[in-house]
Amino acid sequence: MATTTLAPRARPYTSTRARAYEWLTTTDHKKIGVMYMASAFLFFLIGGVYALLIRAELAVPGIQFLEFETYNQLFTLHGTVMIFLFVMPMWTGLANYIVPLQVGAADMAFPRINALSYWMIPVAGLMLFSGYAFGGAANAGWTGYAPLSVRENIGIDLWVGSLVLLGTSSILGAINFIATIFKMRAPGLTLMRMPLFVWNTLVTSVLLLFAVPVLTAGFVMLFIDRNYGGGFFDPALGGNPILWQHIFWFFGHPEVYILILPAFGVVSEILPVFSRKPLFGYKAFVFATASIGALGFSVWAHHMFATGAVYLPFFSFFTFLIAVPTGIKFFNWLATMWGGQLRLSTPMLFAIGFIALFLIGGLDGAFLAVVPFDFHVHDTYWVVSHIHYVLVAGAVFGIFAALYYWWPKITGRMLDERLGKVQWVLLFVGTNVAFFPQHILGLDGMIRRIIDYAPNPGWTELNFLSTIGAFMVGISMLPFMWNVFITQRKPATAGDDPWDANTLEWATTSPPPTYNFEALPPVRSERPLFDLKYGAVEPHAAAVPAARGESHEETRADAPEEFLGEPVEGHEDPDVPGARTTPQVSEHAPDATPREERPKREGGDPAPPTEGRS
Amino acid sequence: MSAGSEVVQLPHAEESHVAQPHGDQGMNTALLGMMLFIGSEVMFFAGLFAAYFNARAAADQWPPAGLEDVVHLNPIVIIATVILIISSFTMQWGVWRIRKGDRTGLNRAVGVTLLLGIVFLAMQAYDYFLLVSEESFGINSGIYGTLFYTLTGFHGAHVFGGVIGLLVVFGRGIAGQFSARHHIAVEAVSAYWHFVDVVWIALFIVLYILH
Amino acid sequence: MAVLLVGLLTLIAGCAPAGAEGQAFPGFFAPPAASAEGQAIDSLYFYVFLIAVAVFLTVEGLLLWIVFRYRRRPRVDGLPPQTHGHNLLEIVWTAIPAAIVTMLFVATIDTLAFVEELDPKPQGVIIDVVGFQWQWTFNYPEEGLSFTGAGAEGPVMAVPVGERVRIRLEATDVIHSFYVPMFRYKLDVVPGRVNEFDIVVEEPGTYTGQCAEFCGLLHAEMYFTVEAMSRADYDAWVTEQQQQPEPTPGGSPPPDAATVEVTSVGVVEGYEPSELSVPADTPWLVDLTNSDQFAPHDFAIRGGNPDGSDWQGDPNADPGQQVIYEPPPLAAGQYEFYCSLHPNMVGTLRVGE
Ligand code: HEA
Ligand code: HEA
Ligand code: CUA
Ligand SMILES: [Cu+2]
Repeated sequence: MATTTLAPRARPYTSTRARAYEWLTTTDHKKIGVMYMASAFLFFLIGGVYALLIRAELAVPGIQFLEFETYNQLFTLHGTVMIFLFVMPMWTGLANYIVPLQVGAADMAFPRINALSYWMIPVAGLMLFSGYAFGGAANAGWTGYAPLSVRENIGIDLWVGSLVLLGTSSILGAINFIATIFKMRAPGLTLMRMPLFVWNTLVTSVLLLFAVPVLTAGFVMLFIDRNYGGGFFDPALGGNPILWQHIFWFFGHPEVYILILPAFGVVSEILPVFSRKPLFGYKAFVFATASIGALGFSVWAHHMFATGAVYLPFFSFFTFLIAVPTGIKFFNWLATMWGGQLRLSTPMLFAIGFIALFLIGGLDGAFLAVVPFDFHVHDTYWVVSHIHYVLVAGAVFGIFAALYYWWPKITGRMLDERLGKVQWVLLFVGTNVAFFPQHILGLDGMIRRIIDYAPNPGWTELNFLSTIGAFMVGISMLPFMWNVFITQRKPATAGDDPWDANTLEWATTSPPPTYNFEALPPVRSERPLFDLKYGAVEPHAAAVPAARGESHEETRADAPEEFLGEPVEGHEDPDVPGARTTPQVSEHAPDATPREERPKREGGDPAPPTEGRS
Repeated sequence: MSAGSEVVQLPHAEESHVAQPHGDQGMNTALLGMMLFIGSEVMFFAGLFAAYFNARAAADQWPPAGLEDVVHLNPIVIIATVILIISSFTMQWGVWRIRKGDRTGLNRAVGVTLLLGIVFLAMQAYDYFLLVSEESFGINSGIYGTLFYTLTGFHGAHVFGGVIGLLVVFGRGIAGQFSARHHIAVEAVSAYWHFVDVVWIALFIVLYILH
Repeated sequence: MAVLLVGLLTLIAGCAPAGAEGQAFPGFFAPPAASAEGQAIDSLYFYVFLIAVAVFLTVEGLLLWIVFRYRRRPRVDGLPPQTHGHNLLEIVWTAIPAAIVTMLFVATIDTLAFVEELDPKPQGVIIDVVGFQWQWTFNYPEEGLSFTGAGAEGPVMAVPVGERVRIRLEATDVIHSFYVPMFRYKLDVVPGRVNEFDIVVEEPGTYTGQCAEFCGLLHAEMYFTVEAMSRADYDAWVTEQQQQPEPTPGGSPPPDAATVEVTSVGVVEGYEPSELSVPADTPWLVDLTNSDQFAPHDFAIRGGNPDGSDWQGDPNADPGQQVIYEPPPLAAGQYEFYCSLHPNMVGTLRVGE
């Protein structure tokens, strides 16, 4: 069966130099997205190697091969790199690639600003690491608590500069996403039909827009204290060290949702596709996402319970409250899968792994909202465990789910399923082995950010186990990298829509042409492509009225009920000839090629291939 | 059409729309971008103001002992404030002119605004000079000095940014690039300039009146 | 997943050797806390733990069941029922977690009130704790006692059991945190701010404490020890300590001994100058001025003792203080000197050149 090839490129590339030039100067959201993701992955490896050094040092009690100062720089840079140079750019890159496609736009709203945002990332990365060349990288933890950070080495100035740059990049990116989502949606794509990934990107962008500038203000103060004798954080001059924590966490807690909301979005994209059902409770998801975003601004001082300087019940209450919208998401995810036909391909496995493990991190968080218990485990390995269950089992699982899911769209090639599953098993087991024992260490009083710990009973064993797990996580990256390597050498045969998916990005070629779409299908629900393939959507109606967003209530109501529980009949409808041609199913599609599920095709009436339509 | 023959045409291509922004609906995209940017700037100043109120609430005496009178209403500050407020009006006047298609009016208004902005910066610099030389009041004179210079300094930096924006608009205006229908840059810079003005009014009230 | 985790846990528990000194291998339930407040926190924790386990098992159980029950079978045609949502269900799974967290919140507030209770007029022992990089000072203002120390044990704080003890915390440089795991409690030690809490220790014993807030280079080594004892033992301890002679800073230097002057500037900046020269094999003195406004420092010489061990000056020079030390005569050669409190502060000592 004919598969799709690339649309004609605007301009053929003749030489490597021309190609490099093209990439360096591009304003195409897809190329920028790829560059974001590639840089982010590189920083992930660096941050990961740092983590492995940390774990190797902690494998047994005593100081093995690092020095105090080196260790302090290691965990500072590990945290900073993972959060600001890995997870954030990775999500920005993915959203860059996917959001314009999902809303049916040709590019982002401000393509040149988009390129600018990207290029700040490598500069900021270099700046952060250049500390090593000037007498030591930053060493006050990723939270850079004052007054320690006022007194420590020059690496902190570079850390501040780097993060201000990254923050600016994020603010510009957020403006770009919001403008794209509000101004560039395809006709008919009303707000309440937007894919969940777009919704989550929107809320994330709003969080960035309001949280990051406050941190920038904090960095300004820190820089002034460090270099111009300012007194913001110095009690001797009338300042207040706690102020830094308020500012940092006013940013910092929204920040953790900035890291996780896109993952929620990815899971909400993948589950319906691989369960072959619509998302259960679309409106509830939108509501929950928005309330997580809003509540995120009212809980910051739960990081400061032990300072003795905050009003505890208020922050405890709102922290608990966040469990409710998150719970709504969890149960709606389960209901989405309930009664479906689950295809356990790699993206789906990562999404399921996300649900299974993020739950642990979320419950750890709920424990931490119990103020008296937080007195005990604050700044212990319980918190380290929480961090990694939400970030490794959460954000990293979400990122890999997204990469496996959208890889065929981005490259035109399917990643190998077997290697994908090997990676999944290693990562799943490794994450638990590495981070589960840290709960117990925390309960037993092992504090964080220490190069050495007392050889208390059990501590050696638990730390050693954790180190083994860390290396398993590290090793799990090898099958992934190998997978990418061998896949890039194969021909691009994935086809437009290998997963039989629902959203607009699958309605164009893989990879999409520079201008993204030849044409757009009508959008009359949150699953335009599904409607096209399976739904009884009348082809000639509503395209234009829906464009003005007037009729979304009516279409949301009609599409679903019609085929509740019924086998798909839409294909026989002679009025919908196109419905058969669109799902381009590649030979490489994993366990399920939707073709075999269609009675029509088995009847020996292969869909008319593309000639008929061009 | 050689490559095009391999391209899958989506069904109903005739009826559906090629991707394009809804540029004609609601606020212009670039202006929306500027508004969002101003939103983030508001949060930036909110952070600095939070530091101010935090320090003020914690102090037994405000302004701290020995510094009671360094920062006070003086002619320089009052004139500078009036100048900045007037400049907001002249800017808006320019916007109204160009909406009517009056390019000369725009250029005049922007020119005046630009001038007022520069005069404001000069007066602020002179005020700093007096504070440092006559009162030896610097950024390292305790939390009060740190706050005063950080707040007013970052406001000044934003005025400076606005002046750069005005320069660009002025240059483009002279070159006749704006018309009644196409003058987004004017609208955007004007919005920014008003924002800078509002921040100054807040600063003025907090630093000079409520002290 | 649940299976896997339970397996992991049994693995952890199974391969556990009986801990040293009869202490058990740690698990989800640590040995009972030693303080009344800690015991309250333990019971709260137990309650939260049960709820968390219940939520965990429910969600993981559902997930596993769904994945097995609804995984795609080979010969299934058509689409599954396309359900879009269910309002009643949404209400149910909003209300139940909301009810659970409200219960948790109430329990939290309840325990919090007990743990945070402060006697308006403290009657019993009062201890002023000063944290600084990377040591602790414990002052007993009533009894006129003061202890400072660093290292694996750190200074010892004695408290009587069964009585309300007031602990007041203050820092001189950066933020530290006063943490005793067996009390299940920590409170930050913040410069420019006095934090205080009351504690009733129930069980006599020796408890390790440690600074829990990252505070720079030697944060990992900022230990202290709490000794809880009966009232009688405590009184005896106080008397004993009060009879110890106060260490007097510096001695009178022998006349006409060679004296080198050196200033300890700061933890990051180190010593000024960082190179010193003294004659070989003669008595000499070190005149240490501590110009650091935050941390105390001292003067030690690597391999400075005749037996090859490190020579260490005593006492410490507090911020702004000056101390004269009398190291042993040294054989010619090059030595390293350092601050025993801040081993990153080093300098070179040239003897007899
Ligand atoms: C992606 C990142 C991420 C996410 C999503 C979260 C989510 C949450 N976090 Fe976490 N947190 C961090 C990243 C994150 N955190 C980091 C990095 C730190 C440490 C920073 C540092 O100091 O270095 C931290 C620290 C931290 C602390 C401070 C700990 C301390 O230092 O003492 C607290 C305290 O309340 C907390 C709470 C929570 C809560 C309540 C949630 C909630 O959002 C979780 C909600 C989810 C669930 C609860 C599970 C699903 C819900 C159900 C199935 C419904 C039923 C459940 C119940 C009825 C309970 N976090
Ligand atoms: C997204 C965020 C993120 C991620 C993904 C990770 C990933 C990991 N983290 Fe990290 N961590 C943080 C965020 C994150 N961490 C933060 C915010 C802190 C707090 C910092 C602070 O206190 O200031 C922290 C702190 C922290 C600590 C506590 C340090 C301390 O307090 O002293 C530890 C200790 O175990 C740790 C371990 C790990 C491990 C083992 C991984 C693993 O998942 C890493 C996986 C490894 C790799 C990806 C390696 C790459 C693979 C190769 C190069 C192939 C070759 C493989 C081999 C040679 C085996 N982290
Ligand atoms: Cu003091 Cu950590
Ligand atoms: Cu938080």
